[in-house]
Amino acid sequence: MIDQLPEGKSIGWMQAPPQWIFTHTVRFVGVVRIVIQDGEGFILIKKGKPLVYYFKHGRIELRGHAALDYFNSHPIIEFNLCKFTPEEFSQALKICNVDEVIPESAGRQDQVTHVVTQEKAEDKTVEVQPGIKQPEREPAPVQPEKPEPLAEKPELIRVKSPADNTERPLVPQPAVLEDPDIKIIGQIKKLNGIVAISVFDDDRNILLMGDVEIEPLLKVARTMLATTNKITPHLDWGSFVHMTLQIPEGNVIVAPYHENHLCILTTRTINIGHIRRILRDLQQERTQNILL
Amino acid sequence: MLKQILNKFLILHDVQAAIVIQENGEIIQSMKSGIMIKEELQEVIATIMLDSKKTAAQFGNASLSMVFVEFSDHFLILGPVMEEFYLVVIAKNTANIGQITYEMKKNQDAIVSLL
Repeated sequence: MIDQLPEGKSIGWMQAPPQWIFTHTVRFVGVVRIVIQDGEGFILIKKGKPLVYYFKHGRIELRGHAALDYFNSHPIIEFNLCKFTPEEFSQALKICNVDEVIPESAGRQDQVTHVVTQEKAEDKTVEVQPGIKQPEREPAPVQPEKPEPLAEKPELIRVKSPADNTERPLVPQPAVLEDPDIKIIGQIKKLNGIVAISVFDDDRNILLMGDVEIEPLLKVARTMLATTNKITPHLDWGSFVHMTLQIPEGNVIVAPYHENHLCILTTRTINIGHIRRILRDLQQERTQNILL
Repeated sequence: MLKQILNKFLILHDVQAAIVIQENGEIIQSMKSGIMIKEELQEVIATIMLDSKKTAAQFGNASLSMVFVEFSDHFLILGPVMEEFYLVVIAKNTANIGQITYEMKKNQDAIVSLL
């Protein structure tokens, strides 16, 4: 099913708690492609409303809340936001077999129907969301209240990601990034030479695009911010725009971003002038917003 | 002689100061135009030098190539010349960074030979 979906326009790969997706897609129409270990899945979203949850690992397919529960069992997941045009979205609805009229609370547990099917002697848990046409199959005599948790089938899917061993709590992120913010960050990430870009605050990483270990990078970024905080009160040079640290391997850039901060990791060959212009524009926009 | 080299930076558009400074904040030589290098600014530069060196070391003991700190009106570029000596250029934000960094690299050996 994943392969049949329209490609859409990628905003960029990022890592965040699953809850982040639901709180930051209010104006988003498209698919969130999710990769967890060797499996992949997606959430079809229309303006903050999740319509379809799907995950596939080998021959195991999870749909509806079974897929959502699996996503939520990971403190951090890696995903790609891909915007759809209205035509692409209609096509995606057809592929996912979703009725045109979508109930308001498509994702709520109390409106979910559970069906257990048997296929090729392999147990398969299929959870059906309202609004999704069900395949014409004979339901099994027993309908469990909840699908069996994946943890009880370790041979099928490894539930515990390495991140589960850490003590990071699964909490909704208090910091809010709007859709335009994600677009801006995505556009910066797409520039030649950008390895990773993170939006972070004093406590945590809010958004990461790029394949890096975030904690060591944030440690460096926070050290750099501490330096700028020490020197800024002693300089009458206007507001802080960015600090760039160049080492033989590349550049680390920290800059203010609304009430948060940006950390950008680049290759050595980056066009620093281009990045600088972007950061200055962001800074000017911020100053204007403060004045308004 | 060092003054002559530093003057090459000062003639660049909107560059206000070129300084050779030691890690402890002691100025070896400087050329400036339209800017006062007070003790406070020396301390700021020393903070950037020491902090950045430590920060770069967090990347597997990487050496520091350059530090660039920009504010809305001015920016500062700092590059190590040798051991504890650094070259610092302060400019208005309208200055050409590419030109400044090019001159920094071009004149590094000449500065080292005079230290």
